[in-house]
Amino acid sequence: MMKVKQGDVQKLALLYERYNRSLFSFFYRKTKESQLSEDLVQSVFERILRYRATYSGSGPFTTWMFSIARNAHIDHFRKVKRRKEDELPDEERIAGEVPTGYEELDERNKKKVLLEKALDMLDEDKREVVILSRYEGLKYQEIAEIQGVTESAIKVRMFRAMKDLKVFVTTLSEEYNHE
Amino acid sequence: MNNRYEELIAGYFEGNLSPEEDQMLQQLIESGEIDLIEIEAMRQLHDQLDMIRVPQPSDEMSKNFYHMLENVQDKKSGLPNTLNSIATWLNEKLSKLTVARIGYASALIIAGFLIGATLNSNSEELEQLSGEMQSLREMMMVSLLEGPSTTDRLRAVTISATIPEADSKAIRALLFTLNNDESVNVRVQAVDALMRWSGNETVREGLVKSISHQNDDMVIISLADAMVELGMRQSAGEFEKLMKERELNELTKTKLENSIAVLM
Repeated sequence: MMKVKQGDVQKLALLYERYNRSLFSFFYRKTKESQLSEDLVQSVFERILRYRATYSGSGPFTTWMFSIARNAHIDHFRKVKRRKEDELPDEERIAGEVPTGYEELDERNKKKVLLEKALDMLDEDKREVVILSRYEGLKYQEIAEIQGVTESAIKVRMFRAMKDLKVFVTTLSEEYNHE
Repeated sequence: MNNRYEELIAGYFEGNLSPEEDQMLQQLIESGEIDLIEIEAMRQLHDQLDMIRVPQPSDEMSKNFYHMLENVQDKKSGLPNTLNSIATWLNEKLSKLTVARIGYASALIIAGFLIGATLNSNSEELEQLSGEMQSLREMMMVSLLEGPSTTDRLRAVTISATIPEADSKAIRALLFTLNNDESVNVRVQAVDALMRWSGNETVREGLVKSISHQNDDMVIISLADAMVELGMRQSAGEFEKLMKERELNELTKTKLENSIAVLM
C-alpha cells in the first residue's frame, strides 16, 4: 500500500488480487446481493486510490481497508435511502415464513438456514462484529478501530451478538417446526 | 451478567484468553457465576457459523477493476481524454444519422488526425505504461497458477485473457498448468487461454506435445478442436498414438478420428 501511496498505482492490482474476495464476502454477507457487492468492492478500490494520501501505514492495511468498506456501505444505503432492517424491533424482524423446501432439508442444512436467518436478524453493529471477526479474521482491537469504539465495547458486542443469535435460532427453529 | 464477564467470554470465543483470564473464567464457571452450558451452546454456534458460505464474485468484477486501473493510468500519463470523449460522442451521435454519413466520415477523419497527432507525442510513455501493466498481470498470473486453490488457478487463466502478448515465462506457466494441473476445468481453460497466443511457435509446439500428457476426455477433445483450428498436421500422429495407448470413450474416439481425418 505504501507504494500505491507513493504513486505506484499499478501495485493496487496486487492489493486487489489479495483482498477482492474478502471484501466481496464482507459486502455479500451484509447485503445478500452479488451485483451490489461487486459494485461496492469497486467503490472501495476507487476510494483507496482517491484517499491513498491519508494512509498512515501505522496499523494493519486491512483495518484501513475495512473502514473504507464500511463507509462505502453506509454511503450507499444513505443514497438509496433504503430502510434498514435493523431499525425494526426484534419481534418484527423475526421472519414468519418458513423458507421453501425447509422441511425436506437434513438437520445440518436446516441448521445452516436457521443460522443464516438469525445472522440477518442481528442489528447492524453486532452483525458487522461477527462478520469481521468470524469470517474476515480480524482481531477485536482492529474491529474496534473500524467501528470507532473501544476493544471492550467490541467484546461486549460480540458476546451479545452470540447471545442474540442463540435466541433467534431457537425462536426460528420453533416457528418453522411448528408451522 | 456484567460487562467484564461478557468480555471474558468473547475472548474465549476468539481463543485469545491470557492464562490469567482463562483461570478467571474457570473460577467463574466453577462458582456458577457463568453458566458453562450456555457459553458452550454459544461457542458451538460461533463455530457453526462456518457453514454459511458466500458465492464467488463474477469475472466482470475483475474486468471492471482493471478497466478502472487502466483509466487511472491513462489520466496519470496525461492522455487527452477530452479528445477521446469527443471522438466517442461524435461516433455515437453521427452514426445514428444516415443523411450525415459524409459528415460523419469527415468528422472521424479529423478526430482521428487530432487524436493520432496527440497520441504520438505520448506514445513512448503510453507504451512504457502498457508494458508495465502487462508485466504486472503476467506476474500475478504466474503467482496464482502456482497456488493450491483451483479457483485461484482458474482466475489466473482468466487474467491471461487480458494479456495481449505473452512472454516466455507466462507461456511456460500455462503449458505447465495444461500438462500437470489436477483440475480438468483449469486444464480446459488453459487450452483456451493458450489459443489466444496461437501465433507463437512455442505455444503451438507446446499444445501438440501436451496431447500425450492428457488422460481426461474433456481436455483431449479441447486439444483436438484446437489442433484442427490451427491446422497442426503433426498433431495427428500424437492423437493416433493416444488412441492406441489409452482407453477412451466412444464419443472421444469418434471425435479424434474425425479430427485426424481433417488434419491429414
